[in-house]
Amino acid sequence: MSFNVSAKQKRKTKFKPVYTTHYSRVNPHNKTVFAAVMLKSKTFVKKTRSGGVMKIVREHYLRDDIWCGSEVCSECKQESTVLQRDACIESNLCPFPHYLVPDTNVVLHQIDVLEDPVIRNVIILQTVMQEVRHRSAPVYKRLKDLIHDKEKHFYTFTNEHHRETFIEREPGESANDRNDRAIRVAAKWYSQHLKTPEAEAEGLRVVLITNDQGNKAKAEESGLLVYRCEEYIKSLIANPELVDRLALSNNEQNEISSSKVLFPEHLPLSRIQAGIKSGTFLQGTFRASRDNYLEATVFVQGEGEDSTEIILQGLQNLNRAVHQDVVAVQLLPRDQWVAPSSVVLQDDGVPKDDETNEEEDGRRKRICVEEHMKPTGKVVGIIKRNWRPFCGMLNVSQIKESTRHLFTPADRRIPRIRIETRQASTLAGQRIMVAIDGWPKHSRYPNGHFVRSLGSAGDKETETEVLLLEHDVPHQAFSQAVLSFLPKMPWTITPEDMVKREDLRQLTVCSVDPPGCTDIDDALHCRELDNGNFEVGVHIADVSHFIRPGNALDKEAANRGTTVYLCGRRIDMVPELLSSNLCSLRSNVERMAFSCIWEMNHNAEILKTRFTKSVINSKASLTYAEAQMRIDDTSMNDDITKSLRGLNKLAKILKRRRIENGALTLSSLEVRFHIDSETHDPIDLQTKELMETNSMVEEFMLLANISVAQKIYDEFSECALLRKHPAPPPSNYDILIKAAKSKGLEIHTDSAKALADSLDVAKVDGFSYFNTLLRILATRCMMQAVYFCSGMDSDFHHYGLASSIYTHFTSPIRRYSDIIVHRLLAVAIGADSTYPDLMDKHKQSALCNNLNYRHKMAQYAQRASVAFHTQLFFKNRGILNEEGFILFVRKNAIIVLIPKFGLEGTVFFDGKGKTGVNLRFDEEVPSLTVEQHTFHMFDKVNVTISLDDSNIQHQKIRMALLEPVIPGVSVPAPEVEPQPKKPKLDR
Amino acid sequence: MASDMRLPVLRKAVSVSSAGSDRADHKDLVVPGDVITSDPGFMRGHGTYIDEEKLTASVAGEVERVDKLICVRPIKTRFNGEVGDVVVGRITEVQQKRWKVETNSRLDSVLLLSSVNLPGGELRRRSAEDELTMRDYLQEGDLISAEVQSVFSDGALLLHTRSLKYGKLGQGVLVQISPALIKRQKTHFHNLPCGASIILGNNGFVWLYPTPGQQEEEAGGFYTSLEPVSLADREVISRLRNCLLALAAHKVLLYDTSILYCYESSLPHQVKDILKPEVMEEIIMLTHHKLMEQES
Amino acid sequence: MAGLELLSDQGYRLDGRKATELRKVQARMGVFSQADGSAYIEQGNTKALAVVYGPHEVRGSRSRTLHDRAVINCQYSMATFSTAERKRRPHGDRKSAEMSLHLKQTFEAAVMTQLYPRSQIDIYVKILQSDGGNYSVCVNAATLAVIDAGIPMRDYVCACTVGFVDETPLADLCYAEEGGGGSSLALALLPRGGQIALLQMDAMTACKGVSKVLDEVVRQHLQDVSVLTRE
Repeated sequence: MSFNVSAKQKRKTKFKPVYTTHYSRVNPHNKTVFAAVMLKSKTFVKKTRSGGVMKIVREHYLRDDIWCGSEVCSECKQESTVLQRDACIESNLCPFPHYLVPDTNVVLHQIDVLEDPVIRNVIILQTVMQEVRHRSAPVYKRLKDLIHDKEKHFYTFTNEHHRETFIEREPGESANDRNDRAIRVAAKWYSQHLKTPEAEAEGLRVVLITNDQGNKAKAEESGLLVYRCEEYIKSLIANPELVDRLALSNNEQNEISSSKVLFPEHLPLSRIQAGIKSGTFLQGTFRASRDNYLEATVFVQGEGEDSTEIILQGLQNLNRAVHQDVVAVQLLPRDQWVAPSSVVLQDDGVPKDDETNEEEDGRRKRICVEEHMKPTGKVVGIIKRNWRPFCGMLNVSQIKESTRHLFTPADRRIPRIRIETRQASTLAGQRIMVAIDGWPKHSRYPNGHFVRSLGSAGDKETETEVLLLEHDVPHQAFSQAVLSFLPKMPWTITPEDMVKREDLRQLTVCSVDPPGCTDIDDALHCRELDNGNFEVGVHIADVSHFIRPGNALDKEAANRGTTVYLCGRRIDMVPELLSSNLCSLRSNVERMAFSCIWEMNHNAEILKTRFTKSVINSKASLTYAEAQMRIDDTSMNDDITKSLRGLNKLAKILKRRRIENGALTLSSLEVRFHIDSETHDPIDLQTKELMETNSMVEEFMLLANISVAQKIYDEFSECALLRKHPAPPPSNYDILIKAAKSKGLEIHTDSAKALADSLDVAKVDGFSYFNTLLRILATRCMMQAVYFCSGMDSDFHHYGLASSIYTHFTSPIRRYSDIIVHRLLAVAIGADSTYPDLMDKHKQSALCNNLNYRHKMAQYAQRASVAFHTQLFFKNRGILNEEGFILFVRKNAIIVLIPKFGLEGTVFFDGKGKTGVNLRFDEEVPSLTVEQHTFHMFDKVNVTISLDDSNIQHQKIRMALLEPVIPGVSVPAPEVEPQPKKPKLDR
Repeated sequence: MASDMRLPVLRKAVSVSSAGSDRADHKDLVVPGDVITSDPGFMRGHGTYIDEEKLTASVAGEVERVDKLICVRPIKTRFNGEVGDVVVGRITEVQQKRWKVETNSRLDSVLLLSSVNLPGGELRRRSAEDELTMRDYLQEGDLISAEVQSVFSDGALLLHTRSLKYGKLGQGVLVQISPALIKRQKTHFHNLPCGASIILGNNGFVWLYPTPGQQEEEAGGFYTSLEPVSLADREVISRLRNCLLALAAHKVLLYDTSILYCYESSLPHQVKDILKPEVMEEIIMLTHHKLMEQES
Repeated sequence: MAGLELLSDQGYRLDGRKATELRKVQARMGVFSQADGSAYIEQGNTKALAVVYGPHEVRGSRSRTLHDRAVINCQYSMATFSTAERKRRPHGDRKSAEMSLHLKQTFEAAVMTQLYPRSQIDIYVKILQSDGGNYSVCVNAATLAVIDAGIPMRDYVCACTVGFVDETPLADLCYAEEGGGGSSLALALLPRGGQIALLQMDAMTACKGVSKVLDEVVRQHLQDVSVLTRE
C-alpha cells in the first residue's frame, strides 16, 4: 500500500456529507443577486459534546460565474488572469506549456518543492485547500503565501462551488475518495475547458500531480495527463537540485531500511483516545533531554494546577517521539521506575552505521537511587507531531558515492535525521535545513529531506539565520498581504486625523535615544506652567493608529510579538515604513502620538494625569550623550535644554523616591560591539556605559507605564494587559547570601527593600568591583517578568520596580504588548473603538503566552548573537590573556567573569588530558580546592581566552587558568604578541 | 378504516374565462409604498396616504378611482361596514343596554337594546327590567342577522334588528369567507329552490338554514325552532356549504345565481367529494360556463 | 481543529455565495384561510411562518386599548425542531420575548396604526427551521402576512443581517457565519424612504463600521428583497 493511502486513512472523517439537490435556477430576473445558481444542501451528522447526535444542514450554492483564471481563455469573463499563456517549466515529460494540478498529499508533503521559484502556474483546487487547512495549519499558511505571491502564478479554483465540477459523495464512497474524485473531475474540466482553438495552438495542457497509485490509475483511465510527483520533478531539465527537496515517500523507505523492526508499533488514534479516557494512557508534551539522547520527560498537564513529569528512558521507550510532540504515554510498573540520570550522553562521535547496538548505552547507566525514582513510562503513540524544519549540518557518509547521509541538528534535543541528497559534497560544511518526513518502525533514525541551504557554517549571515530559526524568531520578509495594510505614501496627517487629536505641535518635544536608533518610540517634554508647576509629557508613537485590529498586519505583529535586536541586525515587528518612518518620532516632522501628560509640582508629585491622542513635532532627536552634554553645558539655554534640565531634575527625585520604596538596582554586563563599517566584523568590545540621561528617560517611561497600567486596570479590570515580576522564592538567594558571607557581609532578602539596602552597603575596601559582582549575582536570582491578563491572575506585583501595578506602554514600535495597551487606553479615553478579542480575557491570555514566549526567545536569540559575535571577536584575536573574577564555583570547574568583555567562561579542572587532578569541593562555603590552591567566589584570577573551533557546529570560547599557577593545571602564558594591529583598525 | 389522505400539492388556479383575464390586465395593481400619482389634484381615499406630497398606496390591491377620489381596495381585508349592509354576527358580550357583536370588522359592532324588536309590542320604552333580561333574548355565542344602522367615527358599527327578517338565528350552518366575495344585491336573503335558505351577510358570514315552513310572526325574531331537520334538508345544506367553500376558494363572487349554478354543477358528486381539489376545479369550471351563458 | 474559514481569499463564503449575495428567497402569501393574513418564507434554510389576526377588538385586558391607534401584539417562537438540537422552548424564553419586542417595535413603525383606534393587530411568527438571520426572516415573513391581511403600511419592512469578516461586510448570514464571526447586525428598514425601522447589533464591533455596513450592503440588498417579494 502506498504511503499516501495509509496517511489518508488516518485522517479523521468526522462528517459524512449527503447532498440533496433542491432546485435549479432561481432569480432569473435579478442580475445583481446571482448569475445563475443551483442550490444544494449539504447534510451531515455531527456528534455533540454531550454525546448526542446532531443533524446539520448547510446550503451549498453552485455557480456559473467562477472563472478558470487562465490567460488563454476567452470564454470566462474574468477581470484579471493569474495563469500565464506560456506556462513553461522545462521538463522531459511535458515539453509543452502546462498547468499543474497537485492533489492534497502532494501539497502537504512537497510544499518545499512547490515553494521553489521554478514551479509556477499551478492550479490549487478548493478541495485541496480545504483538506490542507484541515490537516496542517503551517502548510496551509505557506500555501496561502504562495498563492499571494504574484510571481508564482498560483491560482485557486473554487471547484466545490462550480456547477460543473461539483460532485456529490456516492453511497459507500469515503470522504477521501470523494475528494480525490473531485480533484480528478476538476482537472478533467480544466483540460476540456482549455480545449479552445487558442489554447490548442499553444499546446496548453493540464497535468495532474498525485502520488496515489489508485488515483493515478483512475485519472489515466479518464484520459488525464497525470504524473507522480517524483516523476515530474525528476523530469525538470534545469533544476536537478529540486529532487533533493522531495519528501521521501514510503516506497523508497522500504528499500533503505532493513526489515528489522527496531521500535514497537504506534497505537492508532482511536485506541489512544480510548486509553486516555480510561486513564491507562496519559497525554503530554514530549521533551527530549538536552544532555542525554536516551532520556526524555513527558510533561502531563493534570486537572488545574497539578501536573506531573514522567521520565522515559531508552530508545524503545522513547519510541520515535521527537521533541515537542504530543504523545500518549503508558506508565511502567513501579519496580521499573528509574531516577533521572545525571550523565551527559551525546549521540555523536563518528557517524555510525544505521544499525548499531545503541540499546546497551541505554541500559548501561541505569543506576537507581531509590529516593530519586520518578514515574517512568513509555510512549505508546503519537497524538500530534510538532515537526518543523530543523537547522543543522550534514555528516557526510564515508562511502563516497552514497546519497544517504545523516544530518545532525543544531538543537541537541532533536535526533539525527537521515536524508538523501546528491549534493553532499557541496553541502558539507554548510548549515542546512532539513524537514522530517516520517520515522518508520524499522529505522534507527527518522527520514527527512533537504529543504534549503543557509550558507556556510561560521559565516555571519548563516549563523544569524540559524540562531533566528532555532529560536523560532519569525524573520521572513513581510508578505504582500501584510504590506497591503500599510498607509499609502506620501503620507500626511489629514484634517480628519486632527479632529480627534490634540494639537501639541507647538510644544518643545525632543527624544533621547541610544546612537543610531531609527525606531524612536518615545519623546518627552517639560515646561513650567503659569502656576509654577511643571507640565511633563511623555509622547509615545501612535502605532495602533496604523495597525488596525484583526488585519494581516496586526496578526503578523501579534505573532512576532517583539522586535529582536541582534548585533548588527534588527528584526522588525512591524514593516520598516512604520518602524523607522511613520511611527518613529523623528525630529522636525509631524507625527501622531499617544501622550501621557502630567502636572507635577517641584517635588515631582503628580497632581493631574491626562491621556490623549495627539500630533507632535519633535524639535530634536538626541543621543544620551548629546542630551547629557546640553544639560551640563551651562552656556546653553535654549528651550530644549531647559526642558531637559527640568526633566532631569524631576527624574532624580522620582528615582530617589522609587529606590526608597524598594526598587532594585541590579546589574548585568551589557556589551557593545564596535562593528567595522565595511566587514561588519566586531573590532572591539565595550561594556555599555550608563549616563544620567539614560536614567532620566527610564524614569519617565516607568512613570508613564505605571500611570497607564492603573488607568487601564481601573477601566477594564478583567482584560487589562499588565506585566508582573513575581518575588523569587527565598531559596533562590542562597548562593547570594553564601557569597556575601564569604566576604563577611550579610544580605537581607526578606523584601525587595531590604535587599536593595543591604546591596547598597555591601562594599569591600580595595575591591571596588565587588558590589557590581554582587549585583550581577542578585540579578541571576530573579524571576522572569511576564505579561498577563488581569482577569486571569490576582498577583500583580512588580518585584523589581517595587510597583503594585505595571505594564508596557512606551515602546509600541517594538513590542506588541504595548500596542494592546494602547488600544485599551484608547478605548478607555474614548479615542478609539473596541473589538471583541480585546475584551476576551481568554484570548488576551493566549496572546500573553505568545508574547512571553517570543520575548524569552528574543532574549535567548540576543544572547546567542552576542555569544557568536564574541566568538568572532576572539577568532580574530588569537589567544588573549585577561584578568577576571570567579563568579561561581562548581564541582569540577570555576566560572570566570571577564569584566572587560562582559564575558563569562568556564575553567574545567578535569576532562581531556587532565586526569588525576585532586579536587575537593565544599558546598557550604562554597569553595573548590585544586591540589593546594583553594578557589573562592570573587577571587581574582588570570586566564587565557581562545576560540575552540574543533566542533564547527558548536564553537565555543575556551578559558584556561594562567594565574594562580597550579602545576599540571594552569597553562603557560602565551607568547605575548604585540597588540594585533591590523591597519584597518586604526581608522 | 380507510381514509382519504393526501399531501398538499401546489395547483394552478382555474384559468378564468379569457374575458375576465382581459379585464384584469386593465386593473391598476399597487403594493404598499407604490406611488399612485404625484398630481395634487386627487383626493386621498382608503388604502392610500400622502408621503412627501405624493399619493402613495398603503395596501396591496387594486386602485379605484371615483372622480377625484382615489382608493386602493385590498384583495383581502376585514369588513368595512356601510349603512344598510346586512350582516350575520355573533354575540360576544352582553353589556348594559347593549350587546357586542363580532361581525368580522375591525372593532366589535354594537347592538343597542333599543334597536331590537322585543317580543310583544314593537314600540315601547325599554325598562330596567328589560335590561336585566337581556340575556334571555340574546346571550354570548348566539348568532344574529342584522342591518347596519350607522357607523361610528372609529369605524365601529351600530346594528339594528328592527325588522322581522333580522333576529336570532336558529339551526343552520355558518360559513365564513372573505367579505370581498359577497356581491352587493338588493336582497341578501334567499330561499333557494334547492330546498334551503341563505343569508349572505355583507361581512362575509353566510348563514345556511332550512327554509322555514311559515313565518311565525309572534316570535318577533327571537324564536328558534328546535324541530329536528330532515336528512334531506341537512344534505342540501351540507352540499351548499361545500359549494360556498369551493366558490370562495376560487374567488368567485357569491350571489344567489352563482351559488345555485354551483349547486347544480355539484350534483353528480357526493357531498364529501366536493372539496377534493380536482372535483372542485371541475365544478367551478361548470359554474363559470353557466354564468357566462346566462350573462350573454 | 481550525475553525471555519468564513470568507475565502477568492471571495466565496462557506456556502459559495459572494460577500454581498443573499440566500435564495422563496415566499408564499395566504397560506392559511382562517387567519386574516399569513405568509411563509424561506431564506436559504431559515424558514418562518407568519400569521396576522386583526385588526380586531382588544382582547384580554381592556386597559391596553389605545384611543388613537391600534395595539400591535407580536409573538415570536421557535419550533422545537427548528434547531439542530431539539430544544423545548417554554414560553418564558427570554430570547423569544426580546425578539417579540423587536418585532413589535419594527411594525409599530411601519403599520398605519392610527387608522384603527382601539383595536389590536396580532402578529404571530414561528421559526420552523433556523439557519441564521431569524430576526430578519421573521420581519420579512410578517411583512408579507400584514400585506396579505390588507392592513395599511407605509412601505414594506425589509430586514437583513450583516456580519463582518476582516473588514468585509457579509450580507444575510447563515448560522455558521453568525456563530463564527464576531458581530452581526440586524437591520430592518422601509426601503422606499430609506427609513430605518430597527437596528440591532449583537456582539461588540467597531462602531465605525456600522456606517459602512449600512451604506454598502444592506440598502442594496433590502431593495433586492423588496423587488423579490413584490412578484
